[in-house]
Amino acid sequence: MRKDGNNKILHYIFVAFCWIYAAFSLYPLIWMLFYSFKTNQEIFVTNPFGPPWPLHYENYVTAWTKYNVPLYFLNSLLVSIGTVAITIFCALLFSYATSRMVWKLKTFTRLFLGLGMFIPVQAIMIPVVKIVQSFGLMGTRWSLIFPYIAINLAFACMVYYGFFKGIPMELEEAACMDGANIYQTFFMIIEPLVRPATVTLVIYIFLNAWNEFILANVVVGSISELKTLPLGVLFFQGEFTTDWGGMGATMVIASFPAIIVYSIFSEQVESAMTIGGAVKG
Amino acid sequence: MKKKILSTLMCFSVVATTIMGCGANTNETTNGGSASSTDAGANTQSGSESADSGDKITLSIYTQYADDDTKVPYDYAVEQLKEAYPNVELNLIVQAQDDGQTLKTLAATGQLPDIYQASTDVINTFRESNQIMVLNDVAESTGFLDKLYDANKDLAYAEDGNIYAFPFSGQEYVLWYYNKALFEEYNLEVPTTYDELLNCVEVFTENGITPLALFGQEGWNTAAAYDVIATRYAEGGIKALDEGSASITDDGYVKAAEKMEELVAAGLFQEDATTTNYDQASEKFLSGEAAMFINGQWYIEDATKALGDDVDWMFYPAADAASYEAGKAVFSGGGSASGFAVNPDSENAALAAEVAEFITEKYCEAKVMYRHNPLVAIDTGKQPDSEYPAMMQKLSDTLPTITATTKFTWGLTNSTFNDAIQSESQGLVSGQFTAEEFIEDIADTME
Amino acid sequence: MKKYMGNKLAIFLFVLPALAIFIAFDFVPIIQVFTYSFTDWNGLTTPNFTGLQNYFDLFTDRVFTTSNRNQLIFAIVITVYQMLFATVFAITISDKKMKGRKFLRVAYFIPVILSVTVVCQLWSAILAGDGLLNQFVKLFNSDFKQNWLGDRYNAIYVIAFVNAWQWMGYQFALIVAGIKSIPSDYYEAARIDGCSNVLAHRKITIPLLAETYKFCLIISLTGGIKAFTEMNILTGGGPNKSTYTLTYMMYNAAFKKSDYGYGLAAASVMVLECMMVMLLINFIFRDKDQKKEEEKARRKRSA
Repeated sequence: MRKDGNNKILHYIFVAFCWIYAAFSLYPLIWMLFYSFKTNQEIFVTNPFGPPWPLHYENYVTAWTKYNVPLYFLNSLLVSIGTVAITIFCALLFSYATSRMVWKLKTFTRLFLGLGMFIPVQAIMIPVVKIVQSFGLMGTRWSLIFPYIAINLAFACMVYYGFFKGIPMELEEAACMDGANIYQTFFMIIEPLVRPATVTLVIYIFLNAWNEFILANVVVGSISELKTLPLGVLFFQGEFTTDWGGMGATMVIASFPAIIVYSIFSEQVESAMTIGGAVKG
Repeated sequence: MKKKILSTLMCFSVVATTIMGCGANTNETTNGGSASSTDAGANTQSGSESADSGDKITLSIYTQYADDDTKVPYDYAVEQLKEAYPNVELNLIVQAQDDGQTLKTLAATGQLPDIYQASTDVINTFRESNQIMVLNDVAESTGFLDKLYDANKDLAYAEDGNIYAFPFSGQEYVLWYYNKALFEEYNLEVPTTYDELLNCVEVFTENGITPLALFGQEGWNTAAAYDVIATRYAEGGIKALDEGSASITDDGYVKAAEKMEELVAAGLFQEDATTTNYDQASEKFLSGEAAMFINGQWYIEDATKALGDDVDWMFYPAADAASYEAGKAVFSGGGSASGFAVNPDSENAALAAEVAEFITEKYCEAKVMYRHNPLVAIDTGKQPDSEYPAMMQKLSDTLPTITATTKFTWGLTNSTFNDAIQSESQGLVSGQFTAEEFIEDIADTME
Repeated sequence: MKKYMGNKLAIFLFVLPALAIFIAFDFVPIIQVFTYSFTDWNGLTTPNFTGLQNYFDLFTDRVFTTSNRNQLIFAIVITVYQMLFATVFAITISDKKMKGRKFLRVAYFIPVILSVTVVCQLWSAILAGDGLLNQFVKLFNSDFKQNWLGDRYNAIYVIAFVNAWQWMGYQFALIVAGIKSIPSDYYEAARIDGCSNVLAHRKITIPLLAETYKFCLIISLTGGIKAFTEMNILTGGGPNKSTYTLTYMMYNAAFKKSDYGYGLAAASVMVLECMMVMLLINFIFRDKDQKKEEEKARRKRSA
């Protein structure tokens, strides 16, 4: 890179911009935390943006006493993990078959599944619940897991497709010569190469399942043993008024596990990527 | 490398079986207790709890449970229910604020709870598909009809003359609240005519006070704002439009729209009124940042708590003194056919109907005793635990002189008109849609 | 080799699980949506066939035009914003010399983690009449004060910005993952040839990530077409339905007016629009795909 003075100033301005933008991205996190310690009056009139004082920690107490936080948490966790595991597994196999293997209807099949990206949940809700019932899944966590998989599948397959396309064909040729069968080739050679995509998808699908509200409310809203964390906000929305501070506390309780999952996995991204980088094209 | 893949796969399968295990467990318990598993959601629920408690019957109930106005009556009703029906337990499903989306989906998929809170719209939709029980006999046998105030008789009956829900709210009214202290501070008289109102608007705006905080993100509040003006010109207000006995192109409605346009242009409402939610607007009013507020009479309790003697309500201003006086007898608002309804396919439908009636009575009692709201559907014979707030006293004194009311949007029966009046009045409030557009669009929609 | 990659049993086993779940929980419901859009179904009663009536009504509904205009604006704003910033930040983060890159990477992704409700609440506080933005603007020039979310014609841009801002982090993460999967010797070769960093990225990263970009383009555009939640929370579709989209029309018709058939007609049109966009993008990128293959082959020869 040529380093004349002008370029350097531009570079510094750019770096500064990157950091300011980052600050803007982090602010909602802090804001949400502040918010969860405030009353409606502070939130809307007296102190919408600053740090809360005095701390209305009773918002957390109300949240904790109004619903069974540990149980909801466990349900959210099981549903999210189940969704992530099965979606990733299915999407990996499907995308490999549609991107690298040779068969007639592969483009059609791929685009067909891509349809799933465009469906608003509200539109298909009634049919989906009926199907869940007809499979006898009602009253189990599968009643949420299967629809969630279906919702996320199209997206995951599309991401994987892009990554599989970028891998040179020589890898399979070499594996074939070495006498590996197609399953060995896939699981031992190809799958590790798309780890960066897998990690990003794990995070994304986990978040989707973790934050989902509409379907959860209809499917498990009446079964207290199966309710998930996002349903907690219902305890704060009255006919006319909403306890926003309590909502804030609920959302903090719901978000922090997600943030922790992300920070753990984002470390994993780094290590997964060094594996990906080590294999040369 | 090989190990890694293996462990990944192991992870997948372990997780899968764990969840499967959990799922199966839940399934067993839920199915174990229920007599028939045809009606999945609601009944598996009642089954799972009745399994280990002998003769106890659990009824699921879908209702609101969040703020004091909804929590106090519910808790009171549950407590009373324990004594009257010791073998009945309630499983509360908290109602979502989602325009009936959840309830309608539950109904469409056969998961309707045993008892549910039904709005006019829900009653009208569900009775077409027989998913709401006719309660005529129960209302008779439990004595509900005898206790119902005469003025509220029409609230119990749907359009087809049947009773589908036990109403607990009585006639309700849109009140125009104002902050007395602010009006005194700026030496303003309570406005009786629009000219006086415009003067108030000017003074308040100059001093950085929002004249009237509207929560225009909710269509019912903008529709109510239009209705309080419309009733000054045409007595029927939005109710007559809903019933089709008047047309939006009638002179009175056009004049009202033009007046509203003028008031908006003068700055009666805050500039971002259409994106303001209830809590934002309410906090503005309660903290003295706004001088006036339009809301139902149920707000009296909260307003008195926050502002004490500084808050009062006024009769709606009108075009001139004569129509102001005449208009004192006409209020926006009114009752709506809504309340606790019963799922006819419930295993314990007959019991559920009785319990629904019982809960309705207890709701009314709690509202009178602890929420100081005498405007309930039935005569409870109870006294409030302290004196009525001054504003409620004033309203009670006015009640006998009220000759006509209109409707809240949730009491409207024509859903097309309901949708139109909510969004079009919001357009007027935004100041970016003219009165002409307002009239034309509604006229178009109604065709 | 062809036989190896054309193993019928393997293809069947690989495709089956995904396809089975998709058909059961997504495709069958979609078919039902299309079917019911030709009826007067209210969600509960037995539907009556009404032919194309719902569609005729839909095309003459004045909110239909507004909705389509809004979707188009929404799609364009979020596409431009997300792809631009995601690329710039991803390349910056991938530069090993950049200080604090790990921290920045987490920071850019944070809005994605938070639920839409939190993000919309934050922005509605910032954009309110006396919110942070207007207070900030007033410091410089009070004439610039705006009713950001209440404007009949411009609110949609603001809502689109909020959405773009929240989900930029996701495309950013995808592009970072893409860059990491590019073998580093490509860049080494470029450096030896005397390419500058920026040039190396333009010549290597962007073409090699064509698939990722194609995908980002599809999610941005279709995300714009099916937008709903942000409008629902920030403006409630107002003022007077001027920030409606087809999904919003569907929601309003189905649940507020109990006119399910009509709502599903709106949803069907939206799904068709998304499909057309996807096919169009696939068509446009087809030539590029071939070019990429050639490029790869050439690189291989020269290496």
